[in-house]
Formats: sequence, C-alpha cells, structure tokens
Amino acid sequence: MKWNTTDVELYITAKEYVDTALVPLIPISLDDRMKQLSSMSEFLSILSMEIEKKFKGRILLIPTFHYVMDDEKKVEGLQIWERKLQQAEFNHIFFLTSDINWKKEESYLSSSLVWIPAINLESLPMEQAREVMKQQVEQIISLFMNEWKKKD
Amino acid sequence: MSKRNVSRRQFLNYTLTGVGGFMAAGMLMPMVRFAVDPVLAGGSESDFVATKQKIKDLSTEPTRVDFSFTQVDGWYESEVTNTAWVYKTKDGKIVALSPICKHLGCTVDWGGDKEHPEQFFCPCHYGRYTKDGMNVKGTPPISPLDVFTTKEKDGILYLGQRKPHGEA
Ligand code: FES
Repeated sequence: MKWNTTDVELYITAKEYVDTALVPLIPISLDDRMKQLSSMSEFLSILSMEIEKKFKGRILLIPTFHYVMDDEKKVEGLQIWERKLQQAEFNHIFFLTSDINWKKEESYLSSSLVWIPAINLESLPMEQAREVMKQQVEQIISLFMNEWKKKD
Repeated sequence: MSKRNVSRRQFLNYTLTGVGGFMAAGMLMPMVRFAVDPVLAGGSESDFVATKQKIKDLSTEPTRVDFSFTQVDGWYESEVTNTAWVYKTKDGKIVALSPICKHLGCTVDWGGDKEHPEQFFCPCHYGRYTKDGMNVKGTPPISPLDVFTTKEKDGILYLGQRKPHGEA
C-alpha cells in the first residue's frame, strides 16, 4: 500500500495483514554528484513502486527517507524511524537503497538493509530499461518471499 | 406590503444560499471525480488495447501478457503497464484474468505455489484461485479474479475493460 489517503484507509482496516514496511533511502547532494544521484533516485523510486505493486496487500511503502549525502547524523535519523516502525508492529522492515555508504552502517540497524546498485535507466532504450527493471524487481521479490518464509 | 412578498433580507438569503450551494457543488465535484477508481475512469467504454500476443500462440496454459496504455489518475497522466493471465479453454474460448488478488491487491502468479501448480497463487497471504479464476475456499480471497474483455483483430489479442467475474 502506498502513502496516500485511499491506501492508508485500507491499511487501517486491514492492519493485521500488512506486516511489512518498506523504506527507500535516497541521498541528496547539490555538487557534481547531482546528476548521478538524481538518476539513482529515479531508479530507486521506480523499483519501490514496482515492489509495492507486486505486494500491495502486505507491504506499506513508507515515503522515502531523504538525507544529505555526507550527513553523519543520517543513521540516527533512520534509527528513529526504525523504532517507530517497530512500535507500529511491523514484523518485517526493509530499507532499500543504492547508496553503498549504508553498507558500513548496517550493524547499527536491526532491520534488513537491501542494497542494490543503481542502473542508469535513461541510457537504455525504453524496452531494455523495462526488461532490466523487471529482473531487478524479480530479485527483490524472491528476497522478500524468503525473508517472510523464515519468520512465518 | 403583503406578508407574502419576499422581504429584501430573505431575498438576499435565498440568493446567497443559492450561490453558496453552487460553489460547494463546484468544489465537491472534482473531489468526487478524483476518488473514482482509475480503472473505472480509464478512457471510454469501448477502449481495447492491442497486446503483442498472437492468438495462435495461446495455449491452454495461462501465459502472462503485458499491455500498456495511458491512464489519467487524479493529477497525473501516466503510461501504465498492466498484466493479464491469458489462456484458451478446451473449446477454444479465450480467457483473460486480472492478476490483482481480490483480498488486498497483490499480484498473483500462475503455479506460484509448488504444492498447487495448477492454480493461481498470491504470495502475500497465500490466497489461491483455480484456473478459471475462482477463489479457493479457506484461503483469504472472498471473490474470483476479475476478467478482461477480449477481442481478436488481425490475429492479435486485444484487451478491454476489467470486469468482475461473470460480467465480461
Ligand atoms: S492479498 Fe492476496 S491473499 Fe492477501
């Protein structure tokens, strides 16, 4: 389910079925990395939307956690979200990112961090971009399903 | 002046309510419009979308068919890709089922559950449907999968409106 009125209303009535929260993590910077980061942002947004579409009834897609690229405090910021989500009784929390820097912070988080390298979609013809995206989505889908199986 | 005449104040009141009512209606209408399910609102009634699927390549095994169209959803107009599970019945009829689970809207897969290879499977809460789209009792979904209307033109499959089972 998405963060909009229709879906949130549905979420409220069907809470017991929605046990998974998905939070995309996207960095922002206004220097020479701007272009690369905006492309990363685009890739990750499409990816999260596709995952939401596949698992609409079980996942709540939380609005993206944006942070300034070199911000040291980003981990603390995310930990606050993580606590809130745990309190809201999400049994599975996934953070989805293309920013490699999170890899070294992984131990500070108790949820699953899914890192997936960003693909420069606009460099590909539409058909191919779709195909590539499909494969990425498939990978994450099976990852989620395995994770659910473990705890179900 | 007889009492029946509308006094100046009353007159003003009437007019104001009139105008006010009008304004309220004007504000409400767009909201109602946005609230309408985009699937219902999408295009005119008779819209059929061409797929890349050749009719002669269809078998009795459900295959995934993607099709794209422009959808106006509230504020945005976007290119949407939809999917249908399509197969031919033994007597040659074409069936196109919507993959949207009728429980809470996940996407179902044909044969997604190893123990029930001849059924549609929803990975979210393990809902199941038989090949004709009927929900399996005892699993969460309470109604059958929706059905797309279909059309054949020049050997190509066209998909139309999505309708509740039994209405297409
Ligand atoms: S959304 Fe398909 S079983 Fe719940």
